[in-house]
Amino acid sequence: MGPERSVSRAAALLALTALFSPGLGQAETPDNQISALKAELAATKGELSRTQSALEALERKVDALAAAPAAAAAPPEPRKLETARIAPVNADNPAISFVIDGQAATNTQGNDGAGFLLATGELFISAPIDPFLRGYASINGTTDESFNIEEAALVTTSLPYNLTVKGGRFMADFGRFPHWHDEALPFVDRPPSIENIIGGESIAEGVETSWLAPTDQFIQVTLGTYNSVGADRLFDSSEFGTMPGSQRSFSQLSYVVRPQTYFDLTDTMNLELGASWLTVPTNANRELYGVDVTFRHQPGTSSFYQGTVVGVEWLWNNEQFDNVVVGTDPTTGADIFGSGRFRRDGGYAYFESFFNRRFSLGARYDYAEEIFGPADRQRTASAFVTWQPSEFQRLRFQFDNIGTTGQDDQRFTLQWTAFIGSHSHGFAAR
Amino acid sequence: MASRLVSLPVALMLALFGAEPGLAALRVVASLPDVADMARQIGGTRIEVTTIAEGGQDPHKVPVKPSFVTKLNRADALVVQGLGLEHAYLPALLEVARNSNILPGAPGYIDASLYIHPLEIPDSQSRTQGELHPLGNPHFNMDPTQGKLMARAIAEGLERVDPEGAETYRAGLASYEKLLDEKIVEWDKLAAPLRGLKAVSYHPDLIYLAQHYGIDLVGTIETKPGVPATPGHLEELVAQMKREKVTLVIREIAYELPLAQQVAEQTGARVATVSSLTGGLPGTSTYVEFVEANLRALVAAAAAGGAS
Repeated sequence: MGPERSVSRAAALLALTALFSPGLGQAETPDNQISALKAELAATKGELSRTQSALEALERKVDALAAAPAAAAAPPEPRKLETARIAPVNADNPAISFVIDGQAATNTQGNDGAGFLLATGELFISAPIDPFLRGYASINGTTDESFNIEEAALVTTSLPYNLTVKGGRFMADFGRFPHWHDEALPFVDRPPSIENIIGGESIAEGVETSWLAPTDQFIQVTLGTYNSVGADRLFDSSEFGTMPGSQRSFSQLSYVVRPQTYFDLTDTMNLELGASWLTVPTNANRELYGVDVTFRHQPGTSSFYQGTVVGVEWLWNNEQFDNVVVGTDPTTGADIFGSGRFRRDGGYAYFESFFNRRFSLGARYDYAEEIFGPADRQRTASAFVTWQPSEFQRLRFQFDNIGTTGQDDQRFTLQWTAFIGSHSHGFAAR
Repeated sequence: MASRLVSLPVALMLALFGAEPGLAALRVVASLPDVADMARQIGGTRIEVTTIAEGGQDPHKVPVKPSFVTKLNRADALVVQGLGLEHAYLPALLEVARNSNILPGAPGYIDASLYIHPLEIPDSQSRTQGELHPLGNPHFNMDPTQGKLMARAIAEGLERVDPEGAETYRAGLASYEKLLDEKIVEWDKLAAPLRGLKAVSYHPDLIYLAQHYGIDLVGTIETKPGVPATPGHLEELVAQMKREKVTLVIREIAYELPLAQQVAEQTGARVATVSSLTGGLPGTSTYVEFVEANLRALVAAAAAGGAS
């Protein structure tokens, strides 16, 4: 509809209103009536003129829009975000996971029979604390032990010169398997040699600094100072007076140095080498050396799920022990207690081959010496098969033939492990 | 004396590992080969790209090698495909790489999914549904129209990290987009026979490609995303394929061939081997070659199925 037609309709309406308006007949004189009508007509003309201008402006806008159909049909601009799509995270809620690791075992000698075991029920919590620090804790309960804070550590995230400092209670960076959590191991148990010499996991209270060389070659060096590493049979916090914690002299602390490096042999084969040295300068006057070598064949093709890992680790321990049985009285047959330095070594070699996405099998040989060295040794040969119905569930069967000074023992273990929540093996358990 | 003792190793380290004046190129690490090729096409000689995962690998399960840590440690920029596709290996590597410039949200973290409108954003994130990607299906790279959006996000990211190279990156993006536009027209013609075709894939990674080319995906060989096939699921799948007359089994190169063949034999369907990543199939070192090889494999299997 054009504006002219609108205006003429409005004028006709106005004329009709003027003719039939009852107020018009009540005017006092004709002159007065005429001047009143003239004023009303002038006001109406002004109103009409403004309406016409507004209509013309609207018409221009419509014409302009009609003349640019391409612009009107352009697709909407894709949604632009800041720099990255990141999964929403509630700052108040850390990543939480819970590991359930149950075992059933039977053996042929010794305490023959069968038993069930909660090998690990482990709550793991981790979160960034601020732009400079992250923290994590691992709270662990087993059949043998009640709940225990296995790890509670702070780790720096933005120190210069490729440095990272870790403090609190955590698994010291000694060797390869000593600092793996139970459920991350490729076996149902920790190798007996590691159990004997480290005392299980390398749990330590202390501070550790690691440095990554800014080179294409992977070189990482860790230096650590701790109260002790792993099971500490010599020191008890009560021996060190009334100071809080397990205070001891600097020479009674444990010091660890660990360099490690890595080589890509080919696109599909790589080799990782590590060396560790632990020293306690006085009291136990302990010297513990370790080397670890890991070879991996990881095809990058359609047989990606196939591959093999071969790992070898060997430890040499030299340590002062007090108040231990050093012999037997030939006349009375009583134990003779004494102190002395004892050497004991141990280690393992294993392989694990992956056949497809779900199955792997492997074997391990372990040599572990007790405190008196080769005279008191245990040789364990094991075979294990693992089936993973999904990423978060695993069943493993392991057979061990345990050879000590007496008759060999055979042990059969079935392990069922599952992960609830945001479980990630991380870089350390690669 | 003490300060001299400290300054000596620092000086030694600077001498050994200090700045290398000859290497001016921007050090870019790409999580996957598709974004690596796009970054190369856009940045040319101005950037030096190294890639973490190989084309034939399952991106959900890439090994975390220490050699990747050193690459990330020294990178100026990290290009990812995004939507959580790299969740199995990248967070673990970034945690130890000690490079805050390339962490998610930092300027050096270049996310190629920025302009993608994700499909299959899960309503429920329960693990009963398999291994889900909370941000949506991350396999958008298989559709070349999404590839154009990836290239744009990468070019803008490179410009953000290296503003002096803006002209290079803008020109690189313009010529790459032109190439993709021409190819997309060609590919639309090539893939015309795929429209309306019923297919199953091994993993649910073809939805963007299927949407663009009109393939009707009716199921997957995996029971749920990331959960291997169970006998019961395969039985149901075979029955469904027979019922719905599905003629194509699409097997991604990272997954087992025998199972796909077995399903195809039981249903009379044909197997097409594709890759979900550049470099997975022979002769696909670039993203353009990758898209074309996938389409040719699908069209060839579809034609063979029609003939039978």
